[in-house]
Amino acid sequence: MNRFVVAETAVIDAPIGRVWDVVSRTDRYAEWVAGAIEVTDHHGVATVGKTYAERNRTLGPLKTDSVWTVREIELRKRRVDTGTGFTPLRDVTNTFEFRPVQSADGREVTEMLYQVEYAIGLGPLGLLLDSIQQPAMRAGMRTSMANLNTLLRSEASRTAL
Amino acid sequence: MSSTQSRDIATSRQVRRADVVVIGAGLAGLTAARELGAAGKSVAVLEARDRVGGRLLNHDLGDGQVTEIGGQFVGPTQDHILALAKEVGVDTYRAAVPGEAVYVHDGRAKRFTGHTPPDLFALPDMGIALARIGQAAAKVDPAAPWQAPNARELDGMTYETWLRKAEITGDAVDMINLFLNSAYGGEARDASALFSLWYVSTFGNETHPGTMERGTGTTGGAQDSRFVGGSQLVAQRLAEELDGRVHLSAPVRRVSQDSTGVTVISDAGDWRADRVIVAVPPLVASRILWDPLLPAQQDQLFQRLPFGTLMKCVAVYDKPFWRAEGLSGMGLLRDGSPIREMFDNTPPDGGPGVLMGFLGGKEWRKWAHRPAAERRGAVLRCFAQVVGDRAFDTVDYVEQDWTAEQWTQGGPTSVAAPGVLSDFGQWMGRPHGRVHWAGAEFSPYWNGYMDGAVRSGKHTATELLHQI
Repeated sequence: MNRFVVAETAVIDAPIGRVWDVVSRTDRYAEWVAGAIEVTDHHGVATVGKTYAERNRTLGPLKTDSVWTVREIELRKRRVDTGTGFTPLRDVTNTFEFRPVQSADGREVTEMLYQVEYAIGLGPLGLLLDSIQQPAMRAGMRTSMANLNTLLRSEASRTAL
Repeated sequence: MSSTQSRDIATSRQVRRADVVVIGAGLAGLTAARELGAAGKSVAVLEARDRVGGRLLNHDLGDGQVTEIGGQFVGPTQDHILALAKEVGVDTYRAAVPGEAVYVHDGRAKRFTGHTPPDLFALPDMGIALARIGQAAAKVDPAAPWQAPNARELDGMTYETWLRKAEITGDAVDMINLFLNSAYGGEARDASALFSLWYVSTFGNETHPGTMERGTGTTGGAQDSRFVGGSQLVAQRLAEELDGRVHLSAPVRRVSQDSTGVTVISDAGDWRADRVIVAVPPLVASRILWDPLLPAQQDQLFQRLPFGTLMKCVAVYDKPFWRAEGLSGMGLLRDGSPIREMFDNTPPDGGPGVLMGFLGGKEWRKWAHRPAAERRGAVLRCFAQVVGDRAFDTVDYVEQDWTAEQWTQGGPTSVAAPGVLSDFGQWMGRPHGRVHWAGAEFSPYWNGYMDGAVRSGKHTATELLHQI
């Protein structure tokens, strides 16, 4: 079994509290996670042991239904979920980590780590498959964090309701 | 409130008298009252809200500028609203803004000019769809859709089912839904095929048969022009003409009729009249207490003509910054975007900048209950896909949710599900004794539009004048 760890980081232009609030909402993943087409079931604010479900894009036009279980929550620092439904990827673990940093103009912003760990069987074929899917996965993770940044900006508009 | 209108407080049950009481001070009611007044009849218009205009509503931008958060567009063949506006001194201007529109699909924003979105996969199907809709709509009589060939068959299925039976595929159905999102506050699956083909047949006048292209078009179509000063100004001018005969904050609770006349019980007092014109949305009319009861078929019909679900979302900016980048501010967005259609709603003299998008149908159902800040964020992200990230730098943001309006209960118009038109449609405008009906939903042309409202108001006033 081949195991892989794919990680991307980005700076989100919002304080850690606002980032955490959005990332904790299991009903909102389709609004910023690039591969999530729709959240089909959720439990609101993430709670350890509870699940949520998504319809996801995989490769090209292919789609899948996934179910995620919230495994760890360290308030405003770390969140770990495990997912099923991504065959041939198995033992999928998604980790978000957050760290407050200062922007160039002295504001509190957030450094975010987005990491996915998974296994692929199929021997050498699995390695070949990963060489195809991993770049798309990385791009999706970067897009997701850019989307999150945009979402937070849009909700911090000067004319907040 | 204009000095020419009066607010009445019901302090006693003294009954006032008029030849005709008109219920509802939208365009239809005000037009009918104007016609009756011109014919020498005494008229009282009772309006539930504290303003006139019904679904026409201006939003004050400051410095004497307004933008509309209700109905706003007019176009060719809408002769009656255009003539009325001219008579009351309200000018029109071209709605289209020079520059490119933007089509957002599959996460990509493409600029385009003209009426045709740059989508090579959707366009062939869209062409077939328009041809088939055109052929089928041409067989539907705008005045009596229930008499169309195969009326019962067409009314036995949704519009989406009919489109798919006509081998129109997902892309074209989605493009049609993009239009229906704002036109119905719904989708093809919400309406019957007969209703939808009839709706298309109403996009014209006595000499120009209705076409889908006219209904969906900007320049040369139903979105061709707007009113200087906002569309509500037309209603306000009519109310001024009616000088003191429009009574605001006067919701009508009960209408009783006998062999000698009609008694109208409102929160602002009671009226006795020879005739009554009811010019409120059909569903709202069905909630008045009727004595005697409405004919059961008519009551069933009105209950089955609810308005769609629609919200207008308006973002205001210092200036229309997108114009300097060669953009018209018009956007068409697919793939489940909250806003599917948006326009530059900047006042005619060029400032402040205003973008307006429709949140309708299933997107309304998804977003209406969400926290306001999240919904606004979703709307601004749609705008940003079309005009760039400066869309986030608003100076004002306004939403008008027509489903939250007690005296409208949705928007923009009635949408009939399967079975309604063929079984109950012929009861639509049938007078109930001394009670007559008017409204945009009662018109054989531009049904649900401002022009339909004015046509209907005139028609009903004429019908009534022949009887008294």
